[in-house]
Amino acid sequence: MPDPVLIKALRCAACGRLDPGPRDLCEACHSPDLEPTELPGDGALVSWTTIRRAPTRFKGQAPYVIAVVDLESGLRLTGRIAGDPDRLRLALPLRATGEHDGAYLFTERTT
Amino acid sequence: MRKVLVAGIGSTPFGRHGDIAIQSLAIRAADAAIREAGIDRREIGALYLGNFVSGPLTGQEVLAGLVADGLGLAQIPCTKVEGACASGGIAFRHAYLAIASGLCDVALAVGVEKMTHADTATTTAALNCAMDNRSDGVSGLTFPGLFGLAWQVHAERYGTRREQVSAVVTKNKANGLLNPLAQMGATLDNDQIVQSALICDPLRLYDCCPTSDGASALLLVAADRRPDLAAMPVEVLAAAQTRGSARIAGHPDLCTFEATVAAAQAAYAQAGITAQDVDVVELHDCFSIAEIIDGEDLGLMPRGHGAAYAAEGRTRVGGDVPINPSGGLLSKGHPVGATGISQIYETVLQLRGQHPNQVRDAAIGLTHNLGGTGVACSVNILKRLDA
Ligand SMILES: [Zn+2]
Repeated sequence: MPDPVLIKALRCAACGRLDPGPRDLCEACHSPDLEPTELPGDGALVSWTTIRRAPTRFKGQAPYVIAVVDLESGLRLTGRIAGDPDRLRLALPLRATGEHDGAYLFTERTT
Repeated sequence: MRKVLVAGIGSTPFGRHGDIAIQSLAIRAADAAIREAGIDRREIGALYLGNFVSGPLTGQEVLAGLVADGLGLAQIPCTKVEGACASGGIAFRHAYLAIASGLCDVALAVGVEKMTHADTATTTAALNCAMDNRSDGVSGLTFPGLFGLAWQVHAERYGTRREQVSAVVTKNKANGLLNPLAQMGATLDNDQIVQSALICDPLRLYDCCPTSDGASALLLVAADRRPDLAAMPVEVLAAAQTRGSARIAGHPDLCTFEATVAAAQAAYAQAGITAQDVDVVELHDCFSIAEIIDGEDLGLMPRGHGAAYAAEGRTRVGGDVPINPSGGLLSKGHPVGATGISQIYETVLQLRGQHPNQVRDAAIGLTHNLGGTGVACSVNILKRLDA
């Protein structure tokens, strides 16, 4: 499978809370001291849908598959899935394998 | 807090109003509400107007002032409020608060949107302004997509089946046939629904509300004005408004909107009733699966039973939990900023006993208006005065 990529996120310097960002104040302690961090991109599929009517900005890309993924670090992300949507099922193990304009691309994790 | 009444209602039909300016739609609905109440328009002390995307889609802002000018109101505070699809419900609550707090005795709540002249991609892009566009927006998620995500989880967790969700579409399209204001009433069975185009799996075209033009308006008065009202007034028992997360990441459960749950709890507490006391409901069925999730969030049926209630006919007029006798957003249409006001318009007709799809002896009605990814919610409870 393609090489894994790391997920850019924020970690609160005051309390350690992770956030997918962007965020100005820590959701837990309201500290403004949020530091960029990188997290492993392994996670599980929470839900998915195939977008067949896209907004202007993504018009040439439809159809594409949107996924909600829970990372092993506890973060929830909205990204995209590569590959055959007929293979998808809830809790499918996934790995981040790409990033485009701030959105992560996930691939079924086989190892 | 003072007791507040809805004393006059007005609405344009929902649908295509290609040659009518957005402010003219709002003025027509509001003028009808003022005339029905029989109140001198110079007594109106405040105007709140719900609208979402008049800027991007029509190039016209300052709608609240424009509409007040067109109506011939005094030099009163005129405020446009925006909470995506919940803009109308929020406008209603602010007009309610202006009277309940004693700031004025008469207030006008108007909702309006004009959308059908724009192409689908432009409209989708404008509606996507209701998403956190630094977060979920970068993935290419859309609002139908959000409900496609919710449907997958609902189906997995509760065993919700396609034909059960279709029962919502069949009911609301049939209800719309009876409502002269509805954009697209229809007789549709499950076969026709599943043959319509896929939009965002598993959502198909008939699972989605249409884009619409339209306006609705309500004239609210302090209850001590009651003796000289021309139309049958209805009491506002509760007007609740809440917020939820604007990001998917902020929703631990894709099958519930915490803003709806919180608004319903607040509204039932303010009204001193429970969900079982409600006789008729107009809720935010922007997509078929949304009616099922919203009903569960409002406590109208046990969690996970929304699909079965629809399939068993319990949410039809004549069932024990009548939902969207107007046809709902699916059939009546969804001119975004007007929807929350129009739900109250329909409910006032029900409580007067004058609705074209009347729920027999309806005494208490509930409206539910949800914005964005559940970022804003309005739940209102209304009561017939003699009940
Ligand atoms: Zn913190």
